[in-house]
Amino acid sequence: MTDLSGSTRRLSPAAKVGLGVFARFATIFGLILMIVVFSILSPEAFPTFSNFINVLNQASLAMIIAGGLTLAVIVGELDLSIGYAASLHGVLVTGLIVQTRLPIAIAIAVVLGLGAAIGVVNGLIVTKLKVNSVIATLGVGTIIVGLSFAYSAGVPIVAGVPESFLQLALGRWLFGIPNPIIIMALVVAGLWVLVERTAIGQEIQAVGGNPAAALLAGVAVDRIKILGFVISGMCAALTGALLASRLGSGTTSAADSYLLTAFAAVFLGSATLRDGEFHVLGTFIGTLIIVFGFNGLNIFGAPTFSQYIFQGAILIVAVGLSSLGRILAES
Amino acid sequence: MSAFAHAGTPSASPFVSVKGLTKTFGGAQALKGVSLSVLPGEAHGLVGANGAGKSTFIRILAGLTQPDGGEILVDGRPLTSNDPHRANELGMSFIHQELAFVASMSVLENIMLGLPKRTRLGFVDWPTIARDVKPIADRVGVTAPLNAGVRGLSTAENWLINITRALVRKARLIVMDEPTAALSTAESVRLFDIIRDLRTSGVSVLYVSHRLDEILELCQRVTVFRDGQSVAELDGAQLTRQGLVEAIVGRSIEQAKKPASLSIGERVVLSARGLSRLPKVKDVAFDLRQGEVLGLGGLVGAGRSELARLLFGADRPDGGRMTLDGKPFAPRSCAEAVAARIGLVPEERRSEGLILSKSVAFNLALANLGALVIAQGLPLISPRRWRATTEKTMRDLMIKASGIDTPVGHLSGGNQQKVVIGRWLQAMPKVLILDEPTRGVDVGSRAEIHRLVRELASKGMAVLVISSEPEELPDLCDRVLIMAEGRIVAELSGEALTRDRVIAASYAEASGFA
Repeated sequence: MTDLSGSTRRLSPAAKVGLGVFARFATIFGLILMIVVFSILSPEAFPTFSNFINVLNQASLAMIIAGGLTLAVIVGELDLSIGYAASLHGVLVTGLIVQTRLPIAIAIAVVLGLGAAIGVVNGLIVTKLKVNSVIATLGVGTIIVGLSFAYSAGVPIVAGVPESFLQLALGRWLFGIPNPIIIMALVVAGLWVLVERTAIGQEIQAVGGNPAAALLAGVAVDRIKILGFVISGMCAALTGALLASRLGSGTTSAADSYLLTAFAAVFLGSATLRDGEFHVLGTFIGTLIIVFGFNGLNIFGAPTFSQYIFQGAILIVAVGLSSLGRILAES
Repeated sequence: MSAFAHAGTPSASPFVSVKGLTKTFGGAQALKGVSLSVLPGEAHGLVGANGAGKSTFIRILAGLTQPDGGEILVDGRPLTSNDPHRANELGMSFIHQELAFVASMSVLENIMLGLPKRTRLGFVDWPTIARDVKPIADRVGVTAPLNAGVRGLSTAENWLINITRALVRKARLIVMDEPTAALSTAESVRLFDIIRDLRTSGVSVLYVSHRLDEILELCQRVTVFRDGQSVAELDGAQLTRQGLVEAIVGRSIEQAKKPASLSIGERVVLSARGLSRLPKVKDVAFDLRQGEVLGLGGLVGAGRSELARLLFGADRPDGGRMTLDGKPFAPRSCAEAVAARIGLVPEERRSEGLILSKSVAFNLALANLGALVIAQGLPLISPRRWRATTEKTMRDLMIKASGIDTPVGHLSGGNQQKVVIGRWLQAMPKVLILDEPTRGVDVGSRAEIHRLVRELASKGMAVLVISSEPEELPDLCDRVLIMAEGRIVAELSGEALTRDRVIAASYAEASGFA
């Protein structure tokens, strides 16, 4: 009753249902349309099995970090630290292997632990100090950039990266599927089950839906929010480690651009199948749209600047579709 | 009278006349053709069960929602397009249940919000505006200075400011949605005086309320909505309590009777001694027994909701102690209280009780997720068990929704309240606290909620009911404690538990006769 922000336009019920269907399936139509158009324009390079595997492989790292961000936005917060954190994790994991000579598994465990710790810090700042999450994670992210430079002095760690670490991202497993795709599939499945099929997942959704009501229903709201940040932080660590393995080096700011990709994917996802609600499967489809888009632009040899324009435009379209879904759901 | 510069002359032709209005949301038809007309200078009542279409009707009149069919005539001229701005221009003002102010602005700035303001040399001429507004505010009875901030003003004061705003806008019709829901009896009486005063200057009031006594006292004509249709327009001799109830329900209903309290056990479940959180709760002591429905009465602001927050772990007491089943009980959070099996149905169901965008099934399960898992110790939820539990609760409580996946925001107020109660029915806590369980709920749902509360108590649950309606406590409770200024000042039970005693105890102590 108090929402006086705008009047709903005069639409016939049929038109409203139609618009609702459009909003929910627009992203999937968009994905299919993009694949069809690229296939027609470039029949020998685009619609091949090896290119699709390549696209999925490209999408894996983006999907893992975007999957983590999805948990943060479901609990109603934003996490702007993930890109910088992933860069730090890449530098750190390489350094731990090359310079500290830790076993690869231990090094990865250390960065995953650090990712979780960053999540706890983000979560505590937001829940206990009541700092807006945009500001909190921007601040933490900037501190992370500093730590990253302090650790590596800004010099990429390239020499002496062992082959076994490179195999993590470059190796193939079952039926020759690249490892990152398999890891991504496990992460997506795990997150989906967590959010949609577990008791704690229901609490996660409740906290995002209405924190006051969740609190009075007995949900430990602060702990759930911190959990959202922890999962976001750990996914950023995994993406950072895989990226370092793929690049064969630990480079400051290598993963920074994943922040924007992840946000675009998450918002595109919220407009997919549900009315402006964030969910893991939606983020997966959102990521595919973005990565297929990049892939197409690459195949046609589009200049670098066009990729930025594509990414910025898709972010705006994504958020627009997401709020359109919500408006239609409420009217 | 001179304060109302826009006094109109009463006449027989209606100011607003609505004919055959229809509206469908998704698959549900909220309005199936309602008609209503308001004469100048008339207090017109609008009543109906929750879900009868009153809110949708008001939203359409306010231009917030567009109708699918039907017509609205203002001064006999059809209104082809409507939005909140246009509705205002035509002289319609709306005061909603949940009042909206810009908290950082002053009383005067809020009154003038959205209105063209007199300027001098390009600057807003606040002194002159204040001089113009002051007589109107005085007439309405606003006691806060116009330059004071709106933060911390009482609900009653907020209503008066809103009425002033409507009059400054030269409103010819003021629509009031459940105006007395949050007002004390004295404040309500003051509001009625103001409404009568408005009428004499030609301003019409559309008065939407579940409180039939107020409607009878105040309104010349009453339109009754039922299931999206206007089923009756009563006036003169037809306008009786019995007639209204029958039109609302569509049949005659018996007055619900309180069953004999056979269920009260000897065992004290929850007890408090010397419980304090200054300045709102002072030295409170009580025992709540198994199977008992204990009422907590008193005026708004007596400290009842604050006491409930202490029991539920939302606040920490700064003195005294509590025991639950004989063991010390000091919850540090709501989650701990729920884990100790205490449930709360909060006062504000939309903002504190429900996650409106989520489904009925989701909202019902929220406090009982542990029972829905595939197997003990496994974190996975069984969709089959979830569906079965939801359907059972919806049947037991007669929750009306098109399916278990319907967003709870689409339900009517009474059904929403049943969902909040149903959540605790699933979890079966030892102690259930209900804060204003039937506020803004229609006659039928109210009786069902009362029956439900008695049923829970008969199963051994200890129930604490907070209510500001003096009629509700004797209807529902075995025993009633009256709070005033943070203390428990009276205990009523048996023969002594009557509406009049509840009212007398609330006022006597509040005015310092104790």
